[in-house]
Amino acid sequence: MEILKVKNLSVSYGKKIAIKNVNFTLKEKEILGFIGADGAGKSSTLHAIAGVVSFKGEVVYKGYAYHSPKEAEKIKNEISLMPQGLGLVLYDFLSVGEHFDFFRDLRGLKKDEEYETRLLKMAGLYEFQDRLAGNLSGGMRQKLSLILALLPRPKLLILDEPTTGVDPISRAELWDIVNEMREEGMSALISTAYMSEASKMDRLMLFDEGEVIAKGTAQELIEKIKDYTYEGEIESNECFSFNKRTYCLNPLPLKKAIPTLEGVFFVNALKKGKKPILIEVPKKNIDVPEIIVKAKCLTKKFGEFIADNCVDLELKKGEILGLLGANGAGKTTLIKMLLGLYPIDEGELYLLGKRIKSYEDRIELKSKIGYVSQKFALYKDLTIKENLEYFAKMHSLTPKETKEKIEKYSKMFGFEEYLNSFPKEVPLGINQRFSLAAALLHEPVVLFLDEPTSGVDTVARSAFWKLLRKLKENMGISILITTHYMSEAEYCDRVVVLKRGVKIVDDEVKNLHQKYPGLDFEEIFLKIYKENQ
Amino acid sequence: MSAILKKEFLVFFRNVGLVIFVLYAFTMDIYIAGKGIKVTPRHVSIGYVNEGDIAVVNKIISHFHSPQFKKPKLFLNEKSLKEAIYNRKIMVGIVFNKEFVNNLLSGKTAKLQVLIDSTAAAQAEVTLIYIQNILLKFEHHLKTPASIDIIKLFNPNANTKWFMSLSELMSDITMLGLILIAVVFVREKENGTWDIMLLMPVKGSLIIFAKILSQVLILMAGITIAVGLIVFGAFNTPINGNIFNFYLISFLFSFAIGGIALVIAAISKTILEVAHLTIVIMLPLIFLSGAWTPLSAMSPFIQFLSYFSPLRYYIQATQDIFFRGSGFMDLLPYFGAEFLIAVILFYIGYRKIGRLF
Repeated sequence: MEILKVKNLSVSYGKKIAIKNVNFTLKEKEILGFIGADGAGKSSTLHAIAGVVSFKGEVVYKGYAYHSPKEAEKIKNEISLMPQGLGLVLYDFLSVGEHFDFFRDLRGLKKDEEYETRLLKMAGLYEFQDRLAGNLSGGMRQKLSLILALLPRPKLLILDEPTTGVDPISRAELWDIVNEMREEGMSALISTAYMSEASKMDRLMLFDEGEVIAKGTAQELIEKIKDYTYEGEIESNECFSFNKRTYCLNPLPLKKAIPTLEGVFFVNALKKGKKPILIEVPKKNIDVPEIIVKAKCLTKKFGEFIADNCVDLELKKGEILGLLGANGAGKTTLIKMLLGLYPIDEGELYLLGKRIKSYEDRIELKSKIGYVSQKFALYKDLTIKENLEYFAKMHSLTPKETKEKIEKYSKMFGFEEYLNSFPKEVPLGINQRFSLAAALLHEPVVLFLDEPTSGVDTVARSAFWKLLRKLKENMGISILITTHYMSEAEYCDRVVVLKRGVKIVDDEVKNLHQKYPGLDFEEIFLKIYKENQ
Repeated sequence: MSAILKKEFLVFFRNVGLVIFVLYAFTMDIYIAGKGIKVTPRHVSIGYVNEGDIAVVNKIISHFHSPQFKKPKLFLNEKSLKEAIYNRKIMVGIVFNKEFVNNLLSGKTAKLQVLIDSTAAAQAEVTLIYIQNILLKFEHHLKTPASIDIIKLFNPNANTKWFMSLSELMSDITMLGLILIAVVFVREKENGTWDIMLLMPVKGSLIIFAKILSQVLILMAGITIAVGLIVFGAFNTPINGNIFNFYLISFLFSFAIGGIALVIAAISKTILEVAHLTIVIMLPLIFLSGAWTPLSAMSPFIQFLSYFSPLRYYIQATQDIFFRGSGFMDLLPYFGAEFLIAVILFYIGYRKIGRLF
């Protein structure tokens, strides 16, 4: 049975068109996935259907047609929307139980003890009903947001990127909850940035720059690009290469490969006439010892809570080390200790063979490290050029050096034309590359990247990884990176996996593949986590 | 250092809303305060009953004129006058009854009945003083032929503009100082650039100092605009002392306020929290300073508390510089006290925010 029909839906904010002419239908018990990068129009479409933004076109829900948020009021008790952002709907100073009371009253619902207990148990929050939302980990917050959205027993659940920034474990749990509710007759619209989740959807819509570029089941979509997919990765300005595959419109003398969904975006970009940017990183030898960073039994406590429990870590010259783990596993705390942002409670830290102990040592440490933080935190009121100038000056570069470096990196990373724009005005992929440039201005020997690819579209991510590998190969820079995209772990030389502040794996990626043959990295990761209960 | 200053200036001037707000506070807000807050009688409606019908009465009445008073209205009897006051048609009623006229003519103590609607208490009070002054003049006039001029030691009409605009300026500096300085730190927290800031290979103390200095300089520019455009320009306030002394005390005061702002910055996570805390902290500071109520009118305990308010010394010094023309040596106690408070508050704030570095 068809429960939702969307006809020619368009949303625009002022002159900016967010999404144009979307058409689709949704059946009962069906999960329709919206896939695409930030700003592709997924959120606008979801919000329009939920009746929270005005739109053009028509939405028909179970025979009731609406054209504006006002008309949508009537059906709002059957639709539940969970907006984007980790635990954005939560109040830090309310406990889990109080959230239930509050949302129940807000929605004017009667207390249904049995149903609420079931929701809490599904989310694994039954034992934590007295805990304040502010003290929950990212994954738990997201699960709480989800069960709160399920509280009014919606017939149609709308989830806007519920899994972005959530670790693979919590992601799997979120999906379990959605699937269980679906069995009881609920339909869902879910947007995601993770291609690996596409297989969990019944049908998919791919969004790109305010348009739906493809519709169908994952299998159908993959089928369409079969002819353009080849094995291996090559250097070419005609083709995109990512994750052991090359996508090209022109025939290549290579073996054909089974495409992944990510390929649809590359093929679409190629069809639009887009070319990969070629990044040339000049060869340079830096004279550093074989071991750049060495951490011995680093421990950090926050009161009773042990964020990191005696973690050893070694970063070798010219190595990409992936730091993986669930939300709250201690990754960020570890990075902050390595960066000199947190004092170390116990353990020893060596940089380039020198022990980092005093405040002065830490200042010296800072001048040798490049750091790109989550969401590329840069100054939004300064243009890209002014941002770079500021960082250069803070690192005591002369004006001449600054000018040369900005010229060099903007050319190398391909953001020359955006130098006088504000960070807000440019695509996320550009922001990503220019914050990397900002981190490289002072020629650090090591780069720390904290989820640098979150929310960035597939094409830009592939360019970014290519860039990282070139930096490693040609400049000998060591890189420590955290990510929730398990497919990206394939690009690391070695991975360290943390669980509840303890290191459970420290091994080369190829060794892990040998140990768990035939699995992709996401599966390996989930397996490792389960083995270390 | 210069990099931080440049960055903070760029950030400030690109926040058009903030710039407009600061400009408003330093110009229009002070102008409105100077113009608008008036405790002098203005267009007071006046009514009278004249039972004696002698020339003196008309003479007295003729002194109630615009702009302080409306043209006095004659009522037939006391009852109708009272009714008019009750209905708010008339604010002040004066009854010249027969007894008054007789006593006046025979040189006995003449009692005049004045009815006043004191809903607007301050206005009524001042109006009463006016009436007393006018009558006093006549009392003397009648008894002795020589006219006695009443020397007004305090002329509210002329002084409020100057006094009020300066008081408002001080309050605005307090508020903007707290907000601007706290916001340069909290903005970094809100935008997630805090870690990036800490990662600069520069000492934390330098970052803190440069950030505060950038905002203090903006405040100084604002003070210059306010003093030039409004205090001197629109209100023609005289300055009897040296303007540089005023800048010096303003500078010291900014750092005292900066210390408090650092504490706010250390405990706030969002700019909204800064706004809340600023109001909670700003109001007692202003009440304890004597900006709106003279310190001598406060209870001894409150007076004691006011010694700890940096605003107290700032206001007293400023009034002395502008109105009394005190020189540097006379102002030294104020400078000393302000400096001491600035050092203490700044130290506390620095320690508090320093823990985050």
